[in-house]
Amino acid sequence: MSREQKLRAGLFYISCAVFILGLPFILTYTMGYQLDRSSWKFTRTGLISLKSVPSGAGVLLDGVLFNDKTPCSINEVMPGAHHIELTLEGYYPYSSDIEVWAGKVSRMEKVILFPLRPDVKQLNKSRISSFWIDDARNIIYYFNQEDSAVYKSDMDGEHFRLAANFVSLRPSPKKWLVSPDRQKLLYFNNHQIGLAGLKQEETLLSQENQFVIEYPFDNILDVFWHADNYHLIVAGEKKVAILEAKPGAAPFTLVNLGKRNSQVFFDPKEDTLYFSDSQRAEDGKLYDNIYKLELKTKLYLFQDLIRLKSNDREQKN
Amino acid sequence: MTESKRIKRFLEIIPGALSWLIILGLILLSMFKPVAGAVAIIVFDFYWIIRTGYLTTLLLMAHRKLMRDKNKDWLKACEQLGAGSGWDGLRHLVIFPVYKESIDILRASLSAISSSRFPEEKMIVVMAFEERYRPARDTAAALEAEFRDKFGGYLSTFHPDGLPGEKRLKGANATWAAKRAREYLQARGIPAEKVIVSCFDADTCVDREYFGCLTYHFATNPRPHQSSYQPVPVYNNNIWYAPSFARIIETSASFCQLIESMRLEKFVTFSSHSMSFKTLIDIDYWPVDMISDDSVVYWKAYLYHKGDYRVIPLYTTVSMDMAYSTTFFKTIVVQYKQKRRWAWGIENFPYVVSRFINNPDIPLSKKVRRSFHLLEGHVTWAVWAAVMVVIAPLPILLGGFFFNQMPIGYNLPRITGMLLNFSIFASFIWIALTRTILPPRPKDVKWFVNVVMVLEWTIVPFIVIVVGSTPALDAQTRLMLARYMEFFPTEKLRRVV
Repeated sequence: MSREQKLRAGLFYISCAVFILGLPFILTYTMGYQLDRSSWKFTRTGLISLKSVPSGAGVLLDGVLFNDKTPCSINEVMPGAHHIELTLEGYYPYSSDIEVWAGKVSRMEKVILFPLRPDVKQLNKSRISSFWIDDARNIIYYFNQEDSAVYKSDMDGEHFRLAANFVSLRPSPKKWLVSPDRQKLLYFNNHQIGLAGLKQEETLLSQENQFVIEYPFDNILDVFWHADNYHLIVAGEKKVAILEAKPGAAPFTLVNLGKRNSQVFFDPKEDTLYFSDSQRAEDGKLYDNIYKLELKTKLYLFQDLIRLKSNDREQKN
Repeated sequence: MTESKRIKRFLEIIPGALSWLIILGLILLSMFKPVAGAVAIIVFDFYWIIRTGYLTTLLLMAHRKLMRDKNKDWLKACEQLGAGSGWDGLRHLVIFPVYKESIDILRASLSAISSSRFPEEKMIVVMAFEERYRPARDTAAALEAEFRDKFGGYLSTFHPDGLPGEKRLKGANATWAAKRAREYLQARGIPAEKVIVSCFDADTCVDREYFGCLTYHFATNPRPHQSSYQPVPVYNNNIWYAPSFARIIETSASFCQLIESMRLEKFVTFSSHSMSFKTLIDIDYWPVDMISDDSVVYWKAYLYHKGDYRVIPLYTTVSMDMAYSTTFFKTIVVQYKQKRRWAWGIENFPYVVSRFINNPDIPLSKKVRRSFHLLEGHVTWAVWAAVMVVIAPLPILLGGFFFNQMPIGYNLPRITGMLLNFSIFASFIWIALTRTILPPRPKDVKWFVNVVMVLEWTIVPFIVIVVGSTPALDAQTRLMLARYMEFFPTEKLRRVV
């Protein structure tokens, strides 16, 4: 037999030996068995699967440091209660008890490690009192009540600049809204609705770019933009009204509400208003109901009515 | 049906039945006993890792020998043997069985022989045409005019169609040619003992040192007539023009042959090979009714010499054409059919075992070992890719919630992943070795093809699925169902430069 053939035969027998000797270890390991050296018996163990965000955390099982870092699995864990601690530099340690069952996988795969010093960053470069995030276009709008100014920046606070000015309200606005076309700003308190154009080079709303519509008729709970970017849906304590976004606009009542503090929800995608109200039934008792008012298809009716009502008022004046 | 036919039929069923039993058994286990299925798959995965490591090491050893021997001056080595060795009196009979191969391909094969570093007067070339192919006479005449004077002897033979007991196979044509060559040699008083016969595929281009290397090994072999001589087949003739898909498969085939050259106890002749002409006559030539004539001729010699017959690896190359076609999908089909024809070598199993049964001259241990090697090799070929690609994920997919909650369910994909990583590591070695057996890049091929040749190894998983196991399973199933294959020449394209 040549030297090469002897070498090959040796390699063959080594491979066979590795297979024969290695296979029982691989099988017992994968099936979760552990050799108990005191009794020389195979004991069925369990397995712990660990994952964390961020990954790479050190693992202590019952106070003993484990070699791998997350994500990892600890094989051959004896059944019973165990204590797991995950540690990662710069993050709060995480610790929890976990129950391990024989022949089962116990999972701890939704661990979030929180940083010791959260990465907080100031975005505004000027004083602000409120903000609104346009997540569709990655813009943050900042509102400064004292300076009557609107600023905007990208989502990291970069490109911070003045977007528009507006007329202040007293008392301060309780909510800010940007129109769906991102060209107008709406803000309101209980009896005033302010509007300002966000594209200052154009006159968008009317001849005046910033104005306030007085609304003494009701206590305003919420205001919504209609999809046409021109009409406003005003939900008050007594009624739901529709209003044009122009100076001196008069509201047109859509619904008179039977109870105070109705819940109101406006779906801007469908231009549909949902609200709760009380109705007196045949038995004379008041019952709460939920109503749906679709504004999309019937808006032309409201426009005609608003126009008629405006004409009446002008004639009276 | 006679007793011997019943035994042969039973033996034909065994390989296919075993392969299907393994595949279907693992599928059913994965469905109904996922833990048992997973255990079986892990055992197979671990076996495959060990096997890959073992075979890759053998490949490295064989490659080292190839690099050492392929540029050796073998003629000088023969001369150094001295006249007493008898090398000087040896003649080479080279038979090219031809069917529809073009004259350009045949011309290249003959030119390679005439360019080889061995005395031309000691060479006798036989171009073995099929009479049923009408243009053969014209091709023969053209080649004869060109090459007749370049060799010590030149013959064109035309194998008649439809001889009794024959099938339309390469072996039948080669046998007819060998018989005519025997007459030619007898007429010139050249004894068969002094002739080494090489049977080459029509597209085979030998290395310049091939005949020197062959002569040296024959002359130094204490029992030269009890050995076949197997060069390393490479598919370099058109490798730079072949699509990636074909290139990967054929390069892998060359490497597999290199690996086999290290496993002498199971080494069998494949494709182009050489042997003693005397032995060829003694065993009544190649089989005339079996597709895998290249390996059956070895088994005939093995049985004739009562198990005392071996294959000697020659670490020199013979280059052939890669099988490919005009489009990607046609290439897949061509490759699939070629590999299925190779896998049809499983017909050796019933042939050999049925002759082992009543043969008291060969030791039982040898018979069992050789039968096992034959069966194991073909069954592994038929199931490995199916197990690793299709069946391995089944316990996870079909095992359900409880299986996936068990350690074995959790560990199975990790073990399979480990196997994949190991395979990737092994493939890096194969990529590196590929570069060393490539011929120089033709001038009309862009340098970028060098990069493609490395990147193309990423399609190995796809190749494994298409031609990994299925051709072998197909061949075994056909044999199992007695749907015997017919020979067809593989479609090969070559740009003749």
